[in-house]
Amino acid sequence: MSGTYTVPTGRPEAARGEKRSASAIVAAIAELGGESGFAVKAPRRVEGRVEAAALHGFAAALRMRVGFEHLSAISCVDWLADGEFELVYHFWSYRDNCLVSAHVRIPRDTATMATLTDLWQPASFFERDIHEMFGVEFLGNEDLEKYILTDWKGPPPMRKDFVSRDFAHDHFTYKNYEPSWDEMIDGGYYSGGQNGGQA
Amino acid sequence: MSDKELTQRSAWETVLASLKKRSLWMLHYCTGCGAVELPPTMTSRFDMERFGIMPMVTPRQADILLITGYLSVKTLKRVILIYEQMQAPKYVVGFGSCTINGGMYWNSYATMKSLDRYLPVELYLAGCMPRPEAIISGFNSLIDRIDRGEANSWKDYYENYEFYRKNQEHTFGDIETHRSIADDAQYYGFVEVTK
Amino acid sequence: MSDIVTINDGKAIMPGANAPENREYNMFIGPNHPGIEGNFALKLSIEGDIIQKAKTEAGFLHRGFEKLMEERLFIQNIAIVCRICVPDPDPNEENYARAIEAIGGIEVPRRAQFIRVLVLELSRIASHLFTFGGHAGTIGLYTMPNWSISDRDRVLDLFEELTGGRVYHIFNMPGGVRRDLPDGFKNRVRDVMDYVESRLSEYDDLFFNNKILLNRAVGTGILPVDKAIAWGATGPNLRAAGFAHDVRKDDPYEVYEELEFDVPTAADSDAYSRLIVRRREIAESIRIVRQVLDKIPEGPVWNKQPNPLKWRVPAGDAYVRTESSKGEYAYYMVSDGGVRPYRVHVRGASVTHGVHILENMLAGARIEDASQIMFSLDACPPEVDR
Repeated sequence: MSGTYTVPTGRPEAARGEKRSASAIVAAIAELGGESGFAVKAPRRVEGRVEAAALHGFAAALRMRVGFEHLSAISCVDWLADGEFELVYHFWSYRDNCLVSAHVRIPRDTATMATLTDLWQPASFFERDIHEMFGVEFLGNEDLEKYILTDWKGPPPMRKDFVSRDFAHDHFTYKNYEPSWDEMIDGGYYSGGQNGGQA
Repeated sequence: MSDKELTQRSAWETVLASLKKRSLWMLHYCTGCGAVELPPTMTSRFDMERFGIMPMVTPRQADILLITGYLSVKTLKRVILIYEQMQAPKYVVGFGSCTINGGMYWNSYATMKSLDRYLPVELYLAGCMPRPEAIISGFNSLIDRIDRGEANSWKDYYENYEFYRKNQEHTFGDIETHRSIADDAQYYGFVEVTK
Repeated sequence: MSDIVTINDGKAIMPGANAPENREYNMFIGPNHPGIEGNFALKLSIEGDIIQKAKTEAGFLHRGFEKLMEERLFIQNIAIVCRICVPDPDPNEENYARAIEAIGGIEVPRRAQFIRVLVLELSRIASHLFTFGGHAGTIGLYTMPNWSISDRDRVLDLFEELTGGRVYHIFNMPGGVRRDLPDGFKNRVRDVMDYVESRLSEYDDLFFNNKILLNRAVGTGILPVDKAIAWGATGPNLRAAGFAHDVRKDDPYEVYEELEFDVPTAADSDAYSRLIVRRREIAESIRIVRQVLDKIPEGPVWNKQPNPLKWRVPAGDAYVRTESSKGEYAYYMVSDGGVRPYRVHVRGASVTHGVHILENMLAGARIEDASQIMFSLDACPPEVDR
């Protein structure tokens, strides 16, 4: 069982009612107070930035008062150059057919975040996954034990300073057909461009 | 095995081989994405059963260990435990390019690259992924090899266990297996392996 | 209990034979298990034959796709994304292409959009037929896999003609699709659709109205609608609870807005409802495929993109969603303007169904229903592991 926390199973009042437009949702988020940076990005897509400390309160208000019932995903992006992780929370509203993406930046060396498992059960999988792949601690999540990489002893593999190609090179024996065209690419692996060059 | 040895097979061995080749049971372990081509191979369109090949759920009664594609390190450990439980003669069939040299996962941190470093492989089916026709053609050549008495790669596991064990330890660290290979080797008559 | 196993002098004949206080024991299902859902394990604690607690174990199929994508060019990733979900690979290609198009502002020709819908719906039909075979296998009805998986091969033959691959198609390119429809392909699709439609009523006789299935599946694995929403169920599993959410309708992509189709729902939300919703979805998919064949316009199928080796996607991010045969399938892609994606997060449909929904639903179920419940959720382990 996924922990002992109690997840609300009833549907919030705000999840029922007339369909609202994306701009009405931006206005409703602004009414929650504190978060004014949200804007319509594309049809049915709203996004904005939230401070790390305010995220849990924002998510709870979004669920209970605006009616976003579905946590579609939590994504994590490692911005190595900035020394930050970016957590992106994707909420979907069945009432409005609209997605709200809340971007949160946390420092990379002390990566901790409040859990959302008390609001959405699906958060337990995503948080455990991010903990495993990036090493972010989720305070309050009781189920952060290893799941996919149970035999893994290396660093969290999705961090940008971990290069899978070098790891495979060092740990497995195989006939390596180094592709020579790779060197010709601007920004390629061996030319020190993005995502490469650490080797 | 040399030609001389082949011609000197006893009548009983010839009979045994022709019995073995038509009752191959394949362990039902879908280790990777190649498993998606097995149901079509087993069901009425391609019908593997006409060659006497059937899925079997327990390793102890299975003859073929079909590695259907890439093996993550986590699965490889289970596969080795399963292989050691199987009764000889047993045939490992590597299915798909990723069992040969990593395939498209050559730079993945999570998958092993060449299967024959961990288990003795009888037959490789190349392709990503091999079609049902390729599976059947591969099994037919396995049947031919069994008939001719050439399908003996499993003996290599007992004769050269140090090689496989070294590679397994390189990948897993100290791996705990449940069977004593030395005892099994004695049972199968490979006396050169000592306890 | 204890007086049953004691004789003379009240001594136990077998030490330990007395019933212990806690009668729970553990049972492991998988990863070596008979079934087509793949390499996945369940740890059950059982009392009698009732499951008290279930814990899933995944990662046997982990290849690190998200990492691999960061180390490959945009064009190279087209070939690997389809491997993430094996029975239903096309939503991956669709999501990957559409994420790049959303970030880069790439237009897709209308003919290509219709072809994409055609491929997605054929893939849905193939995947559902595959699930029927697997579900029937879990309750011992072995004729159904022989029928439905062989019928699925007819759809795979169409894929082979169109894309060159039976299982993996590598067909959606950012900016369109790789090839136009071959000559006479439309007629062959129509023939296969007529055939599959005619088979549906035979499936009813063989499987959906089969007494064994009704006895085993009706009332098994009930997922009430409020829990389905709270636990994040999507796709057919949510619709079987009576909640008509479909990404194709509610977050439309490609040309789904122009096509007429219904969203089948069921009320009971048991294993049988989930199965019957999928059966009805096949009929709807056939309807969509026929409309696509009627409405598809002439024109180019690909907006030419730059040299693949120098192909840069502008900086930006996009979250794209697709309705796969298993539920909501989403990609979150971030590009920093380089030749490789900076980050691709794959949100498989089964990360909810195959993990905590399964764990929650198994608690209280009987052992023999465990594999049936898993199949009725159509959880696909490679989506969980990536």
